[in-house]
Amino acid sequence: MNKITSVEAFGEFRRRVLTDASTEAAKPCLVICAGTGGQASGSNDVMRIIKRQIVDRNLQEKISLRVTGCQGFCEMDPFIVVEPGNHLYPKINMKDVARIIDSALAGEVVEELLYREKNICKIHYSQEEIPFFKKQTRTILGKNKKIDPIRIMDYIEAGGYASFDKIMSPPDPDWIIEEVVNSGLRGRGGAGFPTGTKWALARKAGKKSTQTYLICNADEGDPGAYMDRSLLEGNPHAIIEGMIIAAVAMGAKKGFVYVRSEYPLAIKHVLIAIRQAHQLGLLGENILGTGLDFDIDIFRGAGAFVCGEETALIRSIEGRTGEPRQRPPYPIEKGLWGKPTCINNVETLANIPVIITKGSEEFKKVGIPGNTGTKIFSLVGKITNTGLVEVPLGMKIKEVVYDIGGGPIGKTKIKAIQTGGPSGGCIPARLFDLSIDYDSLAKAGTIMGSGGMIVMDENTCMVDIAKYFMKFLKAESCGKCFPCRKGTQRMYEILDDITKGKGTLEQLDLLEELALAVRDTSMCGLGQGAPNPVLSTLRYFREEYVEHIQNKRCPAGVCKDLVGAPCQDACPLGTEAWRYIAHIQRGEYEEAYRVIREPNPFPSVCARVCSHPCEQRCRAGTSGGEAIAIRSLKRFITDRADPVQYQALHAVPTSPEAKKVAIVGAGPAGLTAAHYLSQKDYRVEIYEADDRPGGMLLSGIPAYRLPRDVLQKEIDSLLDGNISLKCNTELGRDLSIDSLFDDGFEAVYLAMGAHKSRKMSIENEEAQGVIPGIKFLKAFNLGGVELGRGQVGVVGGGNSALDAARVAIRQRDVESVTVYYRRTRQEMPAYEEEIEAALEEGVKIETLTTPTRIIAEDGRLVSMECVRNQLGEIDGSGRRRPVPVAGSELTIALDTLIVAISEEPDTAALSAMGVKVNKGSRVEADLMTGSTSRLGVFAGGDVVTGPNTVVEAIAAGKKTALMIDRYLRGGELHQPAEIHLPEVLLAPVESGADQDAGAARVRQPSMAVTARKHNFDEVENSLSAEDASREAGRCLRCDLEFARAHADLTCPGCASGDAS
Amino acid sequence: MNPSEQVILRDVKSIVERHSGEHCDLIAILSDVQTKYRYLPEKALRMVAKETNRSFVDVYGVATFYKHFSLKPRGEHLASVCIGTACHVRGAPSVTAEFERQLGVSDGETTPDKQFTLKTVNCLGACAMGPIVVVDGHHFSGVKADDTDDIIEKAKNGFDQVNIGSDRRIFPIGVRCLSCNHSLMDSDLPIDGFPSVKLTISFENKHGWIRLSSLYGSYSYESEFPIPEDEIVNFFCPHCHTEIIGAMNCPECSAPMVPMSVGGGGIVQICSRVSCQGHILDLSSNPV
Repeated sequence: MNKITSVEAFGEFRRRVLTDASTEAAKPCLVICAGTGGQASGSNDVMRIIKRQIVDRNLQEKISLRVTGCQGFCEMDPFIVVEPGNHLYPKINMKDVARIIDSALAGEVVEELLYREKNICKIHYSQEEIPFFKKQTRTILGKNKKIDPIRIMDYIEAGGYASFDKIMSPPDPDWIIEEVVNSGLRGRGGAGFPTGTKWALARKAGKKSTQTYLICNADEGDPGAYMDRSLLEGNPHAIIEGMIIAAVAMGAKKGFVYVRSEYPLAIKHVLIAIRQAHQLGLLGENILGTGLDFDIDIFRGAGAFVCGEETALIRSIEGRTGEPRQRPPYPIEKGLWGKPTCINNVETLANIPVIITKGSEEFKKVGIPGNTGTKIFSLVGKITNTGLVEVPLGMKIKEVVYDIGGGPIGKTKIKAIQTGGPSGGCIPARLFDLSIDYDSLAKAGTIMGSGGMIVMDENTCMVDIAKYFMKFLKAESCGKCFPCRKGTQRMYEILDDITKGKGTLEQLDLLEELALAVRDTSMCGLGQGAPNPVLSTLRYFREEYVEHIQNKRCPAGVCKDLVGAPCQDACPLGTEAWRYIAHIQRGEYEEAYRVIREPNPFPSVCARVCSHPCEQRCRAGTSGGEAIAIRSLKRFITDRADPVQYQALHAVPTSPEAKKVAIVGAGPAGLTAAHYLSQKDYRVEIYEADDRPGGMLLSGIPAYRLPRDVLQKEIDSLLDGNISLKCNTELGRDLSIDSLFDDGFEAVYLAMGAHKSRKMSIENEEAQGVIPGIKFLKAFNLGGVELGRGQVGVVGGGNSALDAARVAIRQRDVESVTVYYRRTRQEMPAYEEEIEAALEEGVKIETLTTPTRIIAEDGRLVSMECVRNQLGEIDGSGRRRPVPVAGSELTIALDTLIVAISEEPDTAALSAMGVKVNKGSRVEADLMTGSTSRLGVFAGGDVVTGPNTVVEAIAAGKKTALMIDRYLRGGELHQPAEIHLPEVLLAPVESGADQDAGAARVRQPSMAVTARKHNFDEVENSLSAEDASREAGRCLRCDLEFARAHADLTCPGCASGDAS
Repeated sequence: MNPSEQVILRDVKSIVERHSGEHCDLIAILSDVQTKYRYLPEKALRMVAKETNRSFVDVYGVATFYKHFSLKPRGEHLASVCIGTACHVRGAPSVTAEFERQLGVSDGETTPDKQFTLKTVNCLGACAMGPIVVVDGHHFSGVKADDTDDIIEKAKNGFDQVNIGSDRRIFPIGVRCLSCNHSLMDSDLPIDGFPSVKLTISFENKHGWIRLSSLYGSYSYESEFPIPEDEIVNFFCPHCHTEIIGAMNCPECSAPMVPMSVGGGGIVQICSRVSCQGHILDLSSNPV
């Protein structure tokens, strides 16, 4: 490359490059993303294999390769895009390269390797169609795909340095500044100061000075933001062009790129780009013969977050400690070495060539007034599509999170996003309608910042996040001013106390007061912004703080000192899953049973139908692998034990003078409460409306999931001499709360469950053949009556809909069963394993379908009219709202229609008895104590929560037993919460640990579909002893850390090691 | 490493000289000193102060202010665990804890055998694939606590270890002189089991042959005279005797590049600093 010495010659050179590029014979091109992210996922290996293929097969004339910087879709790295057609092949394996080359040569695609949208498995043939890209406006980032960052010609071919025609012939600083002012561009570093105004100030100050400096701030210190790195790595010439334009505008002769030393690839690419620009005569003395001098040096930061602050950054370049100083004077007047200094962020500078080349009017068309142009965000954390996204300012948060980001990972729920890094704040999911612009974000208590957007779901603890940022800030506070130095330290200490269960509610007020003081009195932006993470989490998630302080619980299961072993913490009953798993591994099955049985009177039931929250929180799963099959291990143990063997604490009946408690409902909540009250020496009478005890366990859950003999045995083992049971007795019909108190009962526990199916409220719902879900299940489960016949439709997507469908398909007169659900399978609330099993058994599932009318003849169902839906906007539940598609109506002939959309409690009689019932027919009860609006009356289980899990019902029964006991003894119901950490030290079995590492989760054996489809035999079988032992061996034993510490504490001799 | 005072003085002098200019870039000087010794020895800091006409307090202040600098000797391998926000919410704390457990040291410490230094860093800018761990410049993405022993093992064995026989990423390239189009391949004296690339070199008044491995990904070579580390040499075609020098500079070290044409089309360029691994393989049929 020879130096070019005039603007005209450069213009000609540029046009020639462009013409050559457009006339070059079109051949397919493989584009590989090889930024830091790509390289971390192996893109270099893929690139080498492509090169090898080209060399080995002599394909130089037929195919080309472009190695680019980060293209933003980092989740899919390493990926290849094949031009033309822009076919995107994600997560490429080296062995697939040859096939992709073959198909590219043939002008075809390898369909099975193309990008597929998660969950719906839809293939997208071109990059533009992929939802992640579709809604973006990639003005800045889009160029990365066209450019090999170490080749200046690529940049010129992509339209780079076109602004030189306008800014150099002849140079007109006023015009440039006017354009930038008119564009409305605001600083992308976070504060949003108008760039044009800053330049005008720099130009004015520069006129009185011998030197003006321009600094590109690439000290991208916000953890979680990396757009500046991607721009420097992927398109360094755009920054250089932006800097040259800025230099011409303000008369700067010297520029610096201040970049973090953590970004080696960015440094390398910028250095190469500066050298190439020099060689071409675009930098240095007498640029393109115009008489302008401008040169750029790179400055590597040395790891100090505060150096992102402009005065600290300047001191750092001066070779001093990076402590900020008081402003004014602002750097624009007195900056580097006392000279006027203009500092612009990387992304700001990347926008400049766009403004000059396209014109400010064109630029302004994107975004909203006052917030023009696009902004790049790094969308990371708990989200499906992580990566860099560029969107017009003013887009709604939910569009970014759900449309581009693809929503949550799996079935979790997104809770909040965090923007602005350590100086920013959180925005809760309910405010996701907010427009992303500088002003709206500030109003919501956060800042735009440099563009980090970290998504948090229900497994993220907001107190932990505040503590995380405060730990970061206290370490990064430079220490110069007192409020920041001490304030961040003290805030951290308070947050640390709270996460360890040592916090008090008074501390919350102190924390808030301290935060405001630090904000108002700190010297620089670091200190002024430092309280933001605390203030915004307090503003939106105060209840999480209170939960940590009052109930000593971390709802997200993150704060280790409250959680202990996550499996134990997640279990509503506090079952020590780690402990029985340890016993299984040691071959101690009886001990294992005792550990399971002690906190849970229904071990065999839970071993089959529990929703196993323990597995969702299992660290083996949350750390990226597969959770331990805890429920299968529980089943392995309970299958080997007879529940009767477990000796209840009280075999002898309590004396007749003992206090009496009445329980309404013999479901899991009622029976559990009865069991624990009996153990506390109360006499208990249970009233059950059906003819047998069991509640939903019996009437709702089919026998193939929970065999009747197993259930019966467990119920029998609970009914001891202190408990009497009266069936066929219904509250409201046969007895009232008054009558119970009159009969000498001193407390009443309402645990009737939720046995009433909700109606769809459409025409002809009363027709013969239309059956409420619970009625259908009860008829069969209690009476053996088969109500299904012919073509059966089931409406609903929850567990009872799936249960009804699976029961129906086993009935004699049923020909087919189809489940109709209004959203997609992804949103179905039923357990995934239930959906799978139903499909295996031949149940069909029609999603995105809503019934609109039932057509009856002579009062009997003949068909159902439905409308198809498409998914629309995200609703309050974080799911997409189903929107009917006009003209998509269809009629489905049916013989039976089971309506299982939801259930509610039947509480019509209660209001008259002095017990408050809320809008959803649920009893209003204190969640902590179970007490209702009437003294002495408690309630729990589904009657309070609506349809819920078995384990929650058992937990409610257990807790209420404790509360009734406290009540009857005249004690205080609310008592300080305790932290339950693992205390028993069970040494792990040292086996071939290397073999176990990385072993897959055990699969519970189940009966073949053909064998189970027409009967009600139990589908799932027990694990073998070998499998159980192997699975137990996979446990990470989160308990050991706590149990060891506890053992040391309780055994002073061991702890001190002092023999004397 | 315990370099003598004289060696340190010589090193520091040359480093300071490299950064002399209108303004003295202290942070760059300290970075280079640290690259040399893997930490900042007190003696070196005192000499930097003297050579740059600053007080020792100033230099010490800067050396302790920035996280990048270490006043304690670092281990042979540096393991950096990213604890940026995105990595944090995806489980970086458990990865850090596992590294601490396996290495038996806390954040910022070095193992007693001086093999490993463990460091947490605030953000490495690869947030989409967290948790990220970087060991000796090699990135690992989506790291789980389970992966730590594997990473440590790989670092101990060295990341540059490649098996030329079985690694599919390594392959031979036949090259020609760009001036006379004569093949530069020499099958008489193979290297790595393949015909070598024979060229003539000159440096320090020496003139002789060099044979390079023709395997892309191998840096093996033999030469008539031993070549000092960091030496930039001039390359010539052994057939037409034209000097081979390209317009490009090495992306790694900015020394001139040595271009040769690839059979079938394209150009491969190697760095003229023989100890540098910088190279570019450009396979377009019509390279610029």
